[in-house]
Amino acid sequence: MIIENFKHKMAAHCESGTITSLLNHAGLQISEPLVFGISSGLFFGYFHKMKSFPFPTFIVRNKPGQMRINIAKRLGIKFTGYTFHNNDEGQRKLDDLLKNNIPTAAQVDFFYLDYVPTWERVHINVHFIVVIGKEYTDYIISDSYFPELVKLKSNLLDSSRFAGGSMSPRGYIFHVTGIPSTVHYEEAIIKGIKKVCFNMLHIPVPFLGVKGIRLFAKKIVEWPQLTRDNEHLSHEIMKINILLEDQGTGGAGFRFMYSTFLQEAAEILNKSELGDLSRQLMEIGDDWRELSLFAARIGKNRDLGSEKIGQLSRLIMNRAEVEEEFFIKLSKVIKKI
Amino acid sequence: MIPGPSKQLKTEIKILIIKTLGISDVDPDDVDDEKPLFGGENKLTLDSVDALEIIMALQRQYNVRIGDQNLARQIIRSVTSIADFIYSEQKKFNV
Repeated sequence: MIIENFKHKMAAHCESGTITSLLNHAGLQISEPLVFGISSGLFFGYFHKMKSFPFPTFIVRNKPGQMRINIAKRLGIKFTGYTFHNNDEGQRKLDDLLKNNIPTAAQVDFFYLDYVPTWERVHINVHFIVVIGKEYTDYIISDSYFPELVKLKSNLLDSSRFAGGSMSPRGYIFHVTGIPSTVHYEEAIIKGIKKVCFNMLHIPVPFLGVKGIRLFAKKIVEWPQLTRDNEHLSHEIMKINILLEDQGTGGAGFRFMYSTFLQEAAEILNKSELGDLSRQLMEIGDDWRELSLFAARIGKNRDLGSEKIGQLSRLIMNRAEVEEEFFIKLSKVIKKI
Repeated sequence: MIPGPSKQLKTEIKILIIKTLGISDVDPDDVDDEKPLFGGENKLTLDSVDALEIIMALQRQYNVRIGDQNLARQIIRSVTSIADFIYSEQKKFNV
């Protein structure tokens, strides 16, 4: 069986795309950028020394799962979620939901999704898909990274739902159980923007928000001392490009998607200043992309002398200055509404 | 006949790719329009860094925006898919 009226769509990011698909199916016509913006998805954090990361890394979005929590709170949507102690119980519940024609989102380890080309399959426990049907031993999957619906063997879906390691999904699935009769976008947009401005400008943690971008710029010059050799350094520097461009970020570390959100917000709130800020953020995103390309080039060419790392550091520091200025402006505009 | 991107646009795209990546040993005529640009089937074999370079070059040359990398993957699959995208974007502004 397959839930016939479910409309599969590609999306820029798996979590915001999955939530958007579920909400659209439940009758709420909302775009992915609006989901991303209302749920305050944009973020920055730099982690130089953390037990869970073997090497310094950074994030450009809020933590996995937070988008669903924020969108539920701000739009009054009800989701019901389940985790499981054993795999059979997890599969039974999913099958029951499908029998009742309920598209169900699942948190999975990307590695087990055999419809993904082998060279792209890595262990990431926080990929989100929507399961929309089952035919014999195959589940029908709507994965927002793919243009068409795909099939996945039940043993592979099981492995991906119950993968171990950091942020293990424990079979986590969720679905929509309630959409309010009236949705107030205006208030939700304002709250979403205020939270992002707070996170980027005022969160009292030295490695988060704009302070995190500055720390990244300062600390990246120490990366050569933390790596085994030039190959390792090249690998870590090229990861900057992957984290900004190649992991469902919508481009330029989610800056392009947030820019699109601000354009939609300008229209909904009838506030042209947000439209101007949307265009500014698109330009800021272009420069993040230039930075990303610079990192990828020097990594690929193994051109990793102190001069190039210093240049990369200055490019990152410049992003901190520009984003600080941008979020101060955004904060002022949103306070006036 | 279904209207679509011209042969000239496809040649322009091939020249842009070759120039952007500084490739000296491939002639635009040797590049197959339909075969994937990734994976070694075509005369040009690109990687993800090349892809980003091409996206940025296309943005500059044709004043288009390719923000979403999932969409980008579909667009830069082959010369024809790039040409289709540029053609559809140009059409939007010419209507």
